[in-house]
Amino acid sequence: MRKLYIFLGLLVAASMVLSACGPAATPTPETIVQTVIVEGTPQVKIVEVTPTPAKQAKPAVLRVNVGTYPDIIDPQKSSFVIEIATLKMIYQGLTELNEKLETVPGAAESWKFNQDATQLVFTLKKDLKYSDGSLLNAKRFEFAFLRNIDPTTGGEYASITDEILNAPEWRAADPNAADYNRDEWVKKVGVKASHADGSDCTGYDDAACDTLTLTFSKPAPYFATVAGLWVGYPAKEENIAEGGELWWNSSKYQIGNGPFILKTVEPFVRQYFVPNPNFRGAGIPTYDLEYLYITDSAVAFEAYKNNELDVIASAAEDLDAINADPNLTAQHVQYAGSCTIKIQFSLQPTWNGMPNPFTDKKVREAFALAFDAEGWVKDVDGSLSLPTWTWIPPGYPGYDPESPLRFDPEAARAALAAASEPFNSAEKLNAMGLKLTFGDTPRNRQRTEWLVANYKKHLGVELILDPVDTTTYTALQKDPNTFPLLSRGGWCADYPDPQNWLSVYWRSDTTFASRPGYKNEEFDRLVNEADVTLDPAKRMELYKKAQQILLNDIPAAFGYNTLNHYLVKPWVKGYKTTPQDAVFPGDVLPWTITIDTSMIP
Amino acid sequence: MTTYLIRRLLWLIPVILVVGAVTFILMHNTPGGPWDTDAERRQVDESTRKSLEAFYGLDKPLWRQFLAYMIGDWNNKGEFVCGLPCGNFGPSYRQRGVPVEAILFRPPEDENGNLKPWYYSRFGYSLRLGILALVIAMGVGIPIGTIAALKQNTWIDYLSLLIATAGISVPSFVIAIFLIIIFASGLQWISVIPRSWDSPSVWILPAIVLGFGTLAFTARLMRTSMLEVLRMDYVRTARAKGLAERTVVTVHMIKNALIPVITILGPSLAGLVTGSFIIETMFAFPGMGRAYVQAISQRDYSMIMGTTLIYAILVALANLSVDFIYVLVDPRIRLEE
Repeated sequence: MRKLYIFLGLLVAASMVLSACGPAATPTPETIVQTVIVEGTPQVKIVEVTPTPAKQAKPAVLRVNVGTYPDIIDPQKSSFVIEIATLKMIYQGLTELNEKLETVPGAAESWKFNQDATQLVFTLKKDLKYSDGSLLNAKRFEFAFLRNIDPTTGGEYASITDEILNAPEWRAADPNAADYNRDEWVKKVGVKASHADGSDCTGYDDAACDTLTLTFSKPAPYFATVAGLWVGYPAKEENIAEGGELWWNSSKYQIGNGPFILKTVEPFVRQYFVPNPNFRGAGIPTYDLEYLYITDSAVAFEAYKNNELDVIASAAEDLDAINADPNLTAQHVQYAGSCTIKIQFSLQPTWNGMPNPFTDKKVREAFALAFDAEGWVKDVDGSLSLPTWTWIPPGYPGYDPESPLRFDPEAARAALAAASEPFNSAEKLNAMGLKLTFGDTPRNRQRTEWLVANYKKHLGVELILDPVDTTTYTALQKDPNTFPLLSRGGWCADYPDPQNWLSVYWRSDTTFASRPGYKNEEFDRLVNEADVTLDPAKRMELYKKAQQILLNDIPAAFGYNTLNHYLVKPWVKGYKTTPQDAVFPGDVLPWTITIDTSMIP
Repeated sequence: MTTYLIRRLLWLIPVILVVGAVTFILMHNTPGGPWDTDAERRQVDESTRKSLEAFYGLDKPLWRQFLAYMIGDWNNKGEFVCGLPCGNFGPSYRQRGVPVEAILFRPPEDENGNLKPWYYSRFGYSLRLGILALVIAMGVGIPIGTIAALKQNTWIDYLSLLIATAGISVPSFVIAIFLIIIFASGLQWISVIPRSWDSPSVWILPAIVLGFGTLAFTARLMRTSMLEVLRMDYVRTARAKGLAERTVVTVHMIKNALIPVITILGPSLAGLVTGSFIIETMFAFPGMGRAYVQAISQRDYSMIMGTTLIYAILVALANLSVDFIYVLVDPRIRLEE
């Protein structure tokens, strides 16, 4: 028995020691040098005192709950919003966005296209520096773009710079092939840093290396915006090499030129940033920034109410509590977001070995007109989204509220009746057992059940719930042969240009359009023409016509736009919101934010 | 004893092989892959996908991928890369090549870029929390079960039944949010978000929540076991000899009643140490559980294999240690037999 007690005792002791390991937080005595005046003669004596904690002013720290911790924080490998949220605090691209989502100078002072927009020349601002004081020249940006294209990097967003000459070819090359020569590819690809007179740069310490020339395989008048994306952020080559696979998880190697310096990283818990005095944007932030990673929205809400967080994304389940409290209601900030969500129809000729009813435009029209977008927003999203009947969301260039589609159950039933045999009645469609496929999460189940009820109510069609594992759902959508008959999906802007909404998503040779089977030659012609048109007004007109064709074709029931919705403490002031905000209001222009520390309780 | 230990450790090899094979087959037969992104995002294009698959060896036949993981394989440069026997759990695909062992066992850096001690790793955090939870579960569960048995059918017994039922039936996320609301939002004794895991006080709530289920189960098991022992002849004999009731209970009853509890000690310890997705999500705890669940949903094959095998090894080692504890408790048991 004694042995058992000893064992248990050791277990208790070990657990207490293990859990309490770490530095103590109690004040410790320190030795100070004190000057004492004794009868007019200064004497120096050494005394030991224990400092008493003085009441200090609250530090200006913006504490934001980001939610899920990033998988990777590498400019040329990251792709998720939460990853980019960290990167854009550490780095600044050649260009950036302003409050109106216009492309404005970032690290580049200016840029110029050639006559046919097949070449873009950036001139960097003078005396650019990294946060550690080292020189930042065009060679650094050249490295960033080359690294993005390099097939050994394997970045998920590498294709976003495919307009660059020979970029797709290099990306598709096999680095293990016997005849593979990286240096040859570097010479062939359309990325080059130089001096202003076109002469070669000597390296990263060449202060006169201030010009970056991007040459395209076709005109790309929108590329100044693309060049400001995270894939062009100038992470240091030597840091990546020295830090190895884990370089990105270390504040030592994440040295950037952005508004903040990453000071500490506690994976899965927090990231702490301090202002970067060398930042050359519109202003240097006046506060520290702390990203916290609380994935449970109920816990985050409690922390917010307890003043432990300054910004959280408001959750639908907290809306009743928010609306019941005047203070929380006043702190609830909502504005248009960056995504359009739709009910996608498969347009493939067959489904389940049968003719696909959605190849009939009248069936698509019936389903689009029967979708009660306002009801969805109210019932499912708790008013945390905006109903829409068009593709490009409000706030983005190319937004056009005109649409032939509106919620109209009578017109929907009439459209269904006008469909061809054997799809022209709800009974006939019900006999086919139409499935609504979704990634099985509690939230998606709720959404999908609402959709089933909606179509039953307004169209009389009884859709069958088809839940699958979320990754299986994605896999099904990757193959035209397995693309779900009906599914919920959408698109969020990479950058604010209609090209990103129309050409990247709906042109028939893209994966997004080809998998469900959308193809319209006139649409393709218009967006191809718009993509290479230099005149901004003419370009926008072409995109407008293309979007009208898209809406008339009804490849999907365009349902709703996301809202950015946050709870923001009253001491967080001066933020300028944009639809491109990712984790806190105003994160596109974080230097405009101030923290009124006098208001913090 | 040494022979027994070696024999048991050697048995780990076929266990790991079988667990590895089953996990490998299951994960590769589930649709989707590590570079599948949801439909609302730009998709990984074919050439990038091919180069990633070639880089990570996913373009090789499945049997070769399995052998490469479990034993080793030659890479594109013709060099032999040793697998699991060399402690190589493979690269995480979602974290783009970061070794799984680094994700689980490498501590983060401090402000000066130096590595913190090992117990700041994800495994270290989970181990510390698991041990603390086990201590709470055993330290509270055993006395509750004992007292409930000794005071059978009294209000103490019913109270212990209530605790046990609550511990087993109430989900841990409900207990967690209740405790957070009471102690953090209400009484403000602790903060909702732990500012630093260096402070011992922030460990208490997650450890209680994590250990509550085990505590309840232990209490019920201990009560049942004690009731059985209570009616044994040797207990009656001890009392007839005139021993003090305290001696009877502590020396003759509890010691014998503990054997079933010790049986569950191994799996409980392994289960608690390997962490809990719910606890880590609720308390923003930097342990292993979240990494495991995320790896499954992201089809991060090496990470799934690595964490599953580590769990398997932990369970096997915990069960082995229980066998040794049996000897401490019951001198009749000999490991050599």
